[in-house]
Amino acid sequence: MINLAQRDISHSLGKFIVTALGVGMLIGVVLIMIGVYRGMVHDAMIVPNDIAADLWVVQKDTLGPFAENSRLHEDLKYSLKGFLGVDEVHPITFQSLQISHAKKPIRVFALGYDVFSGYAPYTLNVGRSIQILHKEIIVDTKTGFKLGDSIPLGRETYTVVGMTHKAVSSGGDPMVYLDLHEAQELQFLFSNEQIRNDRFRGGNSVSTAMVNTVVLTLKEGFDAKTVAREIQRWKHQEVYTQQEQSNILTKNLIERSAKQIGMFTVILLIVSSVIISLIIYTMTIGKMKEIAILKLIGAPNIIITKMIGQQSVLLGILAFIGGNIFANVSANFFPKTVILIPMDALKLFLVIIIVSILASLSGIRTALRVDPASAIGG
Amino acid sequence: MSTPIIAMRGISKTYGTGDSAVTAIKEATFEIFSGETVALLGPSGSGKTTLITMIGCITEPSMGKLSLNGEVVYDEKWLIHDERKLRRENIGFIFQAHNLIPFLNVLENVTLVPQMNGVSTKDSNVKARELLEYLGVGDKETKMPSQLSGGQSQRVAIARSLANNPKIILADEPTAALDGERALSVMQLLRKLAHEQNVAIVVVTHDERMLPLFDRILRVEDGVVREEQY
Repeated sequence: MINLAQRDISHSLGKFIVTALGVGMLIGVVLIMIGVYRGMVHDAMIVPNDIAADLWVVQKDTLGPFAENSRLHEDLKYSLKGFLGVDEVHPITFQSLQISHAKKPIRVFALGYDVFSGYAPYTLNVGRSIQILHKEIIVDTKTGFKLGDSIPLGRETYTVVGMTHKAVSSGGDPMVYLDLHEAQELQFLFSNEQIRNDRFRGGNSVSTAMVNTVVLTLKEGFDAKTVAREIQRWKHQEVYTQQEQSNILTKNLIERSAKQIGMFTVILLIVSSVIISLIIYTMTIGKMKEIAILKLIGAPNIIITKMIGQQSVLLGILAFIGGNIFANVSANFFPKTVILIPMDALKLFLVIIIVSILASLSGIRTALRVDPASAIGG
Repeated sequence: MSTPIIAMRGISKTYGTGDSAVTAIKEATFEIFSGETVALLGPSGSGKTTLITMIGCITEPSMGKLSLNGEVVYDEKWLIHDERKLRRENIGFIFQAHNLIPFLNVLENVTLVPQMNGVSTKDSNVKARELLEYLGVGDKETKMPSQLSGGQSQRVAIARSLANNPKIILADEPTAALDGERALSVMQLLRKLAHEQNVAIVVVTHDERMLPLFDRILRVEDGVVREEQY
């Protein structure tokens, strides 16, 4: 049996492909929106995953450095080390900085850690770890700097000795890593004038020996929650497990953004559905005469229904392929991470097929109402 | 006496109801036999198209009795379940503007109805090629309708109407879009087909010059159908 849908599409192939590509771009945007969400979750977890702690000790009544200001005395690390089950103790600072590269400002997220502890809360892509104080820094490739570049920060100028790849904060800012004490000075040290002013006012300058969190790793066989309870009881600080800190990041911090993206995705899907429906309806309206002739010469409804349905589904498939190509090509140009995973694409494909079938219903309904007598009379 | 292929008994068609009711056909009674060519003649709006669509089971009559090929298809109500099956198995249509499907080539236009009737692609292609050769457009089978002249298109349309071996061909002003010479050629072809293939051909026409080519003439005026001697 002649495939009417295929013949009709072949007859106006260019128009059909352009239409499919148009719808495909919409579908591509839907895929990108899902990818942006995936990227947000992925980005948010990079730093906690690189830090790879069992417990996060933060200022009492706060959610930790990613959600709220958290300040702890650095020397807390000594008493924490004495708790039963605690293996390693690493004080860490976090802060947002604005540096410039090629005269353009770049926001970065700086992580300060004890460079001589043997601890490395990052994955190096090229270069080496920091070996000289006040001189060296590790940056992410997204900053645009290269190995050997100089970066003025505070009172020092640092040389890039190592680089990570795609290490970003939950906000999508590229990471930089420097020694804990330098990071502390950057964050907590006032200018000389400020210190002088504070002395005249009778106050004391704040100590720079502060950190935002102290992360702990536990010895094998110790339960993180049990150790956390002990630390909370004796040190009066907030303690989160790695999972709890991850939840704060993914659920609390980016939940609203995720909902926002979810809303956009749903709206885009609805818009895509309406557009596919309109296209199929318009394509059907454009074939009213042919449909009337088909009915007049005795074509059963199933043949007409199949013709419209097949065109609709094929439009959806082509649009999906086009959308996928569009999304994969354009994803690399987005400033923040966009992660496209096959399972999302597969789910979207099923949605598009269902939408295409539903969209064809309005066209089919119109086609089945065509009076075959309208083919008579020129 | 042989059974008429088309038999109408008191068929009427009224559009609308009450004060706005318009009777398009008033108690039409006639018979048409296999091999006959019959002209439906009449001014615009006289009810010719309504009559032809009732014969083609497209428009439902309001009253009367209609038989096709000896089977009563309408007796105050439709007695058939699938009028499209009846059409594609028994009736061929030729239109004023040929009305070929624009996205099918010539061969596909002709084989579409037989294939819908379950004839294999191979057999329907053989039959279609025979018809296209017979009608003088055998070399056009791969052409699209937009690549044909008016006369060629109408010949393809005739081939399509014959492809399902119909017992009835209903033609709605098949020569209206053709010049005098081509119109005459098409009418002569239809007459030849009717006699050679024993098909009843009912042609709606305005062109009185063609009347000598018909066996009978049914004149329709204000919905009244009467036989006219030429």
